[in-house]
Amino acid sequence: MAGRPEIVEQRDWTGIAIKAFSPVVSVILAVLISSLIIWAFGKDPVAAFSALIRGSFGSMNYIGETFLSAVPLMFTGLAVAYGFRSGLFNIGAEGQLFMGGLAGAYLGVVLGGMSVFIALPAIIIAGALAGAAWAFIPAVLKARVGAHEVITTMMFGYIARYIVSWLVTGPLKAPGPIPQTDLIGAGAVLPRIVQVFPALQLGRAHMGLLIAVGCAALMWFILKYTTTGYESRAVGFNPLAAENGGISIASTTVKALCISGALAGLAGVVEVLGVQGRIFDTFSSGFGFTGIAVALLAKNNPIAVIPAAILFGALSAGSSLMQLEANVPIKVVSIIQGLIIFFVATEPFVSKWIARRRKEVTARAQ
Amino acid sequence: MLSDVLNPDLFASAIRVATPLALAAIGGTICERSGVVNIALEGMMLVGAFFGTAATLALQGTSIGPLAAVWIGLATAVATGALFSLIHAFASIDLRMEQVVSGTALNILALGLTGFLMESFYGHPGSTDAVRETLPQVFNFPVAAAGSGLLGTVWTWINTLLFSHSPIAYMAIAIAVIGQWALYRTRWGVRLRALGEHPRAADTVGINVRRGRYAAVVISGALAGLAGANLALEQVGTFTENMTNGRGFIALAANIFGRWTPVGSYLASLLFGFTDALQIKLQLVSSAIKVPPQFFLMLPYVLTVVVLAGVMGRAVAPAAVGKPYEKE
Amino acid sequence: MPLLEVREITKVFPGVLANDKVSMTLDAGEIVALLGENGAGKSTLMNVVYGLLSPDGGEVLIEGKPANIHNPRQAIDLGIGMVHQHFMLVEPLTVTENIVLGREPVKYGQVIDLAFARRAVLELSGRYGLKVDPDARVMDLSVGMQQRVEILKALYQGARILILDEPTAVLTPAEVRELFGVVRSLVDEGLAVALITHKLEEVLAIADRVLVMRDGRLVGETRPADTDQAGLARMMVGRDVVLRVARTPGSPGEVVLSVDDLEVDDDRRLPAVKGVSLNVRAGEVVALAGVDGNGQREIVEAITGLRRPKAGSITLRGKDITRATPRQTIAAGVSHVPEDRHRRGLVLEFDIAENMVLGDHRKAPYAHGGIVSTKAVADTARKRVADFDVRTPSIHVLAGALSGGNQQKVVVARELGRDPDLLIAAQPTRGLDVGAIEFVHEQILAERDRGKAVLLVSLELEEVLSIADRILVIYEGLIVHEVLAEEATDEMLGYYMTGGGGSKLSAPVEKGGS
Repeated sequence: MAGRPEIVEQRDWTGIAIKAFSPVVSVILAVLISSLIIWAFGKDPVAAFSALIRGSFGSMNYIGETFLSAVPLMFTGLAVAYGFRSGLFNIGAEGQLFMGGLAGAYLGVVLGGMSVFIALPAIIIAGALAGAAWAFIPAVLKARVGAHEVITTMMFGYIARYIVSWLVTGPLKAPGPIPQTDLIGAGAVLPRIVQVFPALQLGRAHMGLLIAVGCAALMWFILKYTTTGYESRAVGFNPLAAENGGISIASTTVKALCISGALAGLAGVVEVLGVQGRIFDTFSSGFGFTGIAVALLAKNNPIAVIPAAILFGALSAGSSLMQLEANVPIKVVSIIQGLIIFFVATEPFVSKWIARRRKEVTARAQ
Repeated sequence: MLSDVLNPDLFASAIRVATPLALAAIGGTICERSGVVNIALEGMMLVGAFFGTAATLALQGTSIGPLAAVWIGLATAVATGALFSLIHAFASIDLRMEQVVSGTALNILALGLTGFLMESFYGHPGSTDAVRETLPQVFNFPVAAAGSGLLGTVWTWINTLLFSHSPIAYMAIAIAVIGQWALYRTRWGVRLRALGEHPRAADTVGINVRRGRYAAVVISGALAGLAGANLALEQVGTFTENMTNGRGFIALAANIFGRWTPVGSYLASLLFGFTDALQIKLQLVSSAIKVPPQFFLMLPYVLTVVVLAGVMGRAVAPAAVGKPYEKE
Repeated sequence: MPLLEVREITKVFPGVLANDKVSMTLDAGEIVALLGENGAGKSTLMNVVYGLLSPDGGEVLIEGKPANIHNPRQAIDLGIGMVHQHFMLVEPLTVTENIVLGREPVKYGQVIDLAFARRAVLELSGRYGLKVDPDARVMDLSVGMQQRVEILKALYQGARILILDEPTAVLTPAEVRELFGVVRSLVDEGLAVALITHKLEEVLAIADRVLVMRDGRLVGETRPADTDQAGLARMMVGRDVVLRVARTPGSPGEVVLSVDDLEVDDDRRLPAVKGVSLNVRAGEVVALAGVDGNGQREIVEAITGLRRPKAGSITLRGKDITRATPRQTIAAGVSHVPEDRHRRGLVLEFDIAENMVLGDHRKAPYAHGGIVSTKAVADTARKRVADFDVRTPSIHVLAGALSGGNQQKVVVARELGRDPDLLIAAQPTRGLDVGAIEFVHEQILAERDRGKAVLLVSLELEEVLSIADRILVIYEGLIVHEVLAEEATDEMLGYYMTGGGGSKLSAPVEKGGS
């Protein structure tokens, strides 16, 4: 076996540059390939993407819509990222989001008559707890018997949807033909940004944006500067070494998946309190799954989740104008998302390959 | 009322529901035995279902007739499933990508691609048109062949249970049995097991790890494609957006419950199939027993979790599963 | 004409010149030892010959003809077989399946002819005296038995040249002797054997010719008759080496660790430790000597809280820690250098600083109220890096980027830096080169001299004899012998490590076994 070099060189700037730019390159590649697909079907990709951009950033109002779509993705992106950092793939953020939304819709009606300053924080916290609770059982199954969280959280996602579907058609159904809950009370409504800062004419965008950014900062701090974050990361990287260092794998796993679930729950409750005002079968357009793409694009860095979520929010906000003007089906957005994940995930291979090439060249030169 | 639920049709439909799960699960078994995790079964099924339906719709009006068209549709589903799985093979074997991530990307891609193409081809989201003819039942014995009475009842059970199925249902059973035999008795099988347990050992005796894993992934894609054909061309007769609805994940659980063996995967799928068939039957009587239908709909998913939690501690996955193989 | 000739092989790894124009020959009927420290390039050279690595220069000739070997298959076809340090066996497969893997006898194109394969295995095993059960699953076999399967596999594939990579690392002295007997008989049958090793006494015992490698280069060739251990060591390291650490006897004080009637199950829930009692006193090094897999790991994991004991008790300075969690045992004053630094010792994706406080990370000064003090962590890391001579440009280098020796220093620095009452060191020098081994041994002895209790788990008799004060031999989950280090010999320990299986051992052993 050949030994590794004793002394590691100074910072590898090329490597860092590749890491930093790979998301950008991935997005560009994804756009190029989907353009080809659009073009192949006789549509104009330039018109499509120009409509997409105008429909997401073309005016203050459109920007507001982009933010509106980005907020739940920030939460679910953070949720999935926290899981990944702890070695867990929370593919069922969607279910935790439904539970958070359910808590929000129910308490929004019950506590809606109270003061905003009491009702709003209480309901938001309850939504986070509901999401955490929904992640708790898969977490315990993972910690106790090793049942893979990819399957259990996914299954819990389906179960959550059916529970919501049952409640909105039965026990919690609002009067009228549509299966949905009652509208939440005034005290539970998350104010729009424009209501708090009149200078920012951001349309329907609501204060959930601030909460999401705050959560990103908090998560960054937790991961970097708390023992909870240290232990999560240690278990995520090497559970056996963590255990040897006195860290309980089981309780760290449970804690991490519950934190992830709480963040996903926030996505649901904030969506209900800030946008929909109630819950119904289809209140989430797959935010939990898009959160996976967001987390991967952000490389599980909580701060990077913010721009990544805004990008995906823009894709979804702008897609209606794209369909309207360029007659391109909205589904193209999923194609772009899939491609972005794919290309971002190739980065380790590409940078390793480049590093190997460079080292081979230098080794030969010696 | 009991006979509304507990009748030969319940068990026959258990086999029907189990078929796509079993095919995908066996695909998962073969893939994971080679050392590659495949959570993209869901997407591969979807791709197979879509292209199988599209091919059938395109050909059924031509001179070959609707029956030949649906068979070509089946072949197309298998081929496109296999083709789509090549992306996963390339990503996990050559690019050494995190296999769960590649699988996730493919699932999202499949959802987007099939949805996009459906709208582009047929002009509307939701479902395609129905194919004119689905794959026909293989046997057509007269229902009343044995008359009424005890003999008649027995015949009804046998006929419904064993002889009422369409071709892919029988294929699935055959694939399970042959797969099981092949895994333990053929050169391919021994080498496949070696790949998933200790790829370097296989490499050092001259077995081509890359080729073996590629083949396994592509076989899993073909089987998932066949599963998609079963859904679209045998059971439903149309392609509907996201019609797999989590079956790929249930199939993975069935593969684990079946301890990474083809017959085990089939039997585990049969258990899920039974739950699902029961669920459908119970829905018919749900108004009588006053349980909301959603609770029946949840059953397969709840069962998946229960089974996984119950079996997990004892099931041992192939040692090298999920780990990219890198020559030194 | 030599059977195998290697001409000017050069192999470059990123940043390392692993082989620098190495040439050698190997004749039928001879055993050539390739001697060198870890990282000298011995395995690299043989991996090139076996087609696992492709050289950046030079060529390999078989019977004088240039051989283009790009993969193991081609090497096998040319009659080259290799038994790797880490066995290349597929554990859930049977012995027969493993032996024929890659060259399965088939009928009807694909179906394995198991009856034929079984007969072939039995015939080979009879011819060379390598007894195995062809239907056993490899995972149920002992390490020595697995090695036989490996050799049979190479023979089945028609090997004329057999490369053995550190074959004795996992064997008992008796098994080593048996292996050497087998190797000798293979050579008598006309095979050529290349033996990769860094153990001097083995070279002297078996080799016909010795090639010494250092830093990727061939630095010398000799015959056992023309040299001795010191001479070989000098060639290998390039300077004079002290073969044993200078050691003063310990002065044991009060009992620190006391284990009574401990029973522990292994991962498969089979009894692995079957009623072990032992104690370790302050200021002494107690070695738990034994062949891998006789319950050492389970004992260590039970003491450190990583595994639940089934029965018995463990006390540390009178405090019961039988059912303590790892966190509680650390708090109670136990440090643990685990047997595998990559598996349990380090988080390779963490930097050195983060690894330095693993286990202490909740305590002041490293954390206050759940908030990490990165400054305190960095200060400690810097101090320990300096104290333990970890070669790194910065404490923020990832642990995974360090060499094996430096990684082990990080683990040792952390565990000793905690100032424990009891240090458990499991295989603390596995895979390290001579210099690093010396360093780790010195640190362990220094710890003892500061009045700490040390439990050393090792299968290296060298190591056990050179730093332990008292030796406990473990065999199949039981302590079968206890002896003071100055009264112990290689042969005696080997005798007990194999369960006193005297029939396998030759005369000198009985002397020590009394």
